[in-house]
Amino acid sequence: MRWYSTLTVLAMVAVVAAELLWIRSGVFRRRAYWLALGICALFQIPVDGWLTKLSSVIVIYNPEVFSGIRIFWDSPIEDWGFGFALMTLAIALWVRQAPGEGERPEPAVAAAADEPAGPRP
Amino acid sequence: MDVDRFQYLIVMALCVLITLPLEFVLDARVYRRPRRLLRTLLPTFVAFVAWDVAAIRLGHWTFSERYTTGWKLGNIPVEELTFFVVIPLCALLSYEAVRNVLRLGWLGTLRAGSLGRLLPPEPGRRVGSERERELV
Repeated sequence: MRWYSTLTVLAMVAVVAAELLWIRSGVFRRRAYWLALGICALFQIPVDGWLTKLSSVIVIYNPEVFSGIRIFWDSPIEDWGFGFALMTLAIALWVRQAPGEGERPEPAVAAAADEPAGPRP
Repeated sequence: MDVDRFQYLIVMALCVLITLPLEFVLDARVYRRPRRLLRTLLPTFVAFVAWDVAAIRLGHWTFSERYTTGWKLGNIPVEELTFFVVIPLCALLSYEAVRNVLRLGWLGTLRAGSLGRLLPPEPGRRVGSERERELV
């Protein structure tokens, strides 16, 4: 059974659901979040690569539990889903606690956008 | 001493070191909000360590004895515990740094950061103190 693949998809869905239904930090509407995630995904290549490169592997994945798709330095592709879930949860919880923030786009964007100010859920 | 044993920990330490300038130079202010940081890291840590503990128990992944210290808490290597603190930290520092640059621009962010005093003041900005006036 591809447990790592399954649990990775579940974790991604769970974190997205947690953000939309419970944390409600509004990170998915923020450019800073997507840019930061992209930057982190790039840095994940050498860091994850060092841990998973098969020539001198540090974290050893059971080949039965993941897709078998290895990218860059032999990192299972699932690792990027894992990273997405881990980093999104952290950023969402962090942003939620910002004074006077959550459920609002960035101030600069809010000033420029002419969307009507809807009631906060 | 066998340095190889510390490879995983060294990778984690490098992640901390490389992202540290974000806190000061790009004024991320993550470490300087310890209560908020703790309330962010704790739930994240609990959720992902739970997954890790289960995955290790079920044999989804194991760790090289050569490249880890062998120090463990239950079945989980200390390296993994540091991972679930360090990686979220890197994400938060990146997020705050990117946010500053988007809001204030590169120059504005650098001015707000710890190297700001080395930069010339903003054009058009009113000079405050006598001392500052002398410096302009």
